[in-house]
Amino acid sequence: MIPAWRGGLRGAALGVLLLSAPAAAQVIDSAPTRPAAVRTIALDARLATDAGVALGDTVRLSAIPGDSLGERAVVSALLGRRADPSEIARQEYRARLHLDQLQRIIGYGDRVDRFAVLSRGPEQRRTLLDAINGAAFGFKAWPSADIAVRTSRTFQVVRRFNRAIGVITIVASAAFLLCILLLKIDERRRDVAALRMMGISAGTIVKSVVLEAGIIALLGSVAGVGFGIVVAAIVNWHFQGVYRTTLAFTLVTPTTVVFACLLSVLLGVVAGWVAARRLVRVPALQLLGR
Amino acid sequence: MPVRLAILALVRHKARTLLALLGIAVSAALLLDMVMLASGMKENFQGFLMLRGYQLRVAPKGTLPFDSDATIDSTASLVAAIRRLPGVSAVSPVLGAQSQTTSTRDSTITAFTLGIFPDVQGDYELVRGSDLTDSTSLVANERWLSETGRAIGDTVTLAVGYDPQLRTVLGQRRFVVRGVARFFYIAATQPTIGMTLPVLQAMGGSGRRDRSSLLMVKAADSADIEAVRSAIQRVSPRISAISLEGATEAVEQRLGYFKQLALVLGSISLAVGVLLVTTLITIGVNERAGEIAVLRAIGVARTSIVGQVVMEGIVLTGIGALSGILIGLVTAQWLERILSDFPGLPATFRFFVFQPRDAGIALALLAAAGMLAGIYPAWRAASLPIAGTLRREAVA
Repeated sequence: MIPAWRGGLRGAALGVLLLSAPAAAQVIDSAPTRPAAVRTIALDARLATDAGVALGDTVRLSAIPGDSLGERAVVSALLGRRADPSEIARQEYRARLHLDQLQRIIGYGDRVDRFAVLSRGPEQRRTLLDAINGAAFGFKAWPSADIAVRTSRTFQVVRRFNRAIGVITIVASAAFLLCILLLKIDERRRDVAALRMMGISAGTIVKSVVLEAGIIALLGSVAGVGFGIVVAAIVNWHFQGVYRTTLAFTLVTPTTVVFACLLSVLLGVVAGWVAARRLVRVPALQLLGR
Repeated sequence: MPVRLAILALVRHKARTLLALLGIAVSAALLLDMVMLASGMKENFQGFLMLRGYQLRVAPKGTLPFDSDATIDSTASLVAAIRRLPGVSAVSPVLGAQSQTTSTRDSTITAFTLGIFPDVQGDYELVRGSDLTDSTSLVANERWLSETGRAIGDTVTLAVGYDPQLRTVLGQRRFVVRGVARFFYIAATQPTIGMTLPVLQAMGGSGRRDRSSLLMVKAADSADIEAVRSAIQRVSPRISAISLEGATEAVEQRLGYFKQLALVLGSISLAVGVLLVTTLITIGVNERAGEIAVLRAIGVARTSIVGQVVMEGIVLTGIGALSGILIGLVTAQWLERILSDFPGLPATFRFFVFQPRDAGIALALLAAAGMLAGIYPAWRAASLPIAGTLRREAVA
């Protein structure tokens, strides 16, 4: 296949040969017959479900919608959708055909859209790339890592967007947390006044209030982690249903949990310290409203 | 009077009020951004498609314009058939392909190439120079010029492919760069050129003869767009006629993640804001239980007490929301800059579009949230037992 490439690929093993259909090959109809000469194809499981096609059914394939003379093929496999973020938003169906079969159906001649080349080792990769790129005008060879970087740009943007939203949410949450803790500690005015009048030192009161605030923040963040896990499960369940995929849209990772708990406890301790310092500076009788 | 009393009650605890205002303002900013994101994409996309007044797109059956390499065959007869339909005022066929040229630095530059008819095209506007005049002229965007090192008036050689078996380039031709164009639907970072449709078809050989990727159709102002769309759809079974609404729906489906994210985050920020204001005012009411009991004892009506407490929530939320709208406009710019890095996004596309209606929706939601937040503490304040509360306060 494609002899001109052989010289350029000397020293390399040809891995996967891919051709994506430039024209959507269409499933015209299905019938439960299976002649021996008919080629096999693999269909997207979603397409099979939506079109009512089962394993062993014969379908007609054509690049022209409504063509009743399309090529017949037997469905020999059903493919699950890959958990690939780049395909999530695209609701198109996938079918896998033999390369020559697809080339014939869509009139593509002896052409492919891309090659995947497996090199024998990293040290030969550079030489191989240079050899392929120097071979001719009109195409370019890329290391898989570069392609991964280029194709992941979309997700980098989504990640940066989600992070930005996260920063805004953290600012709002921090203000709310500080406010609630100030309120909680302000409610303890009379207790603090009583402790001061009993001779407990300001330092001890501040420490106890800070400890209390830290414990409240920790308990709150633990409850928040539980809530987050439940919300993540609901979000995943919802989007996996919408996009018919096994891709996880939300992940509660140990890093996220540790970050959330640490931030929450830190804010709690700061709020507790600020509020306690304010309280112990006020004379005890004034705290009692005298 | 209730407003003044509410403000006085809030000013009494400056630190907690300021923190609450900050929290509400940031939540309001997030809410505004999410409302802008949810509605802005749709509004912007519709305006974007209507830049040159073409209300309908015709793509190969089952695809969206330029969603795949699929092409429409027998373009000339299809265009003629569509032109004959009642209500159709213009049809612009477009073919998309890749072309290669060598730069002045001797490197190969691959460009997205559009084949169009200059008199009906709706894909670009001329920035400088002149438009396509003959089969040897081309227009290019700034990116193509900078990557190739060419300028208006230069002559370049273009090819549309390579035959590895014969080791020859395909469809090689010489062109003169006539003008610089801004392509509406293509990312500014993508080197792009435009030439006349018959030339690009001819360069592609038999595989592209009489083919196009897309037809843009303009209906007369008085025409029923849906009727025209249906009529076009009936012309050929090999095409999909897509209206503005259909295209918007398809794109919204793809960008649904952002819309749903906006909905979830907006709802959470609103709910958290309500909880905070409720907590804050409830604690304030508890602290002022004695004052409220005295007011009730001297004859102040329950409705006045309720009004004052609810007003406290509204004032707190209102001030926070107004500051939040300003913060929201700033954060929207920041988020827009992040999302504008999406690969392949046309330079004219915007995710966050401010509309007074969006600010109105955000303010209305926050005002409702403020009222809702005041209901529970107001009920508590109104139902305080006068004698019992006064006795408790006196003992304390």
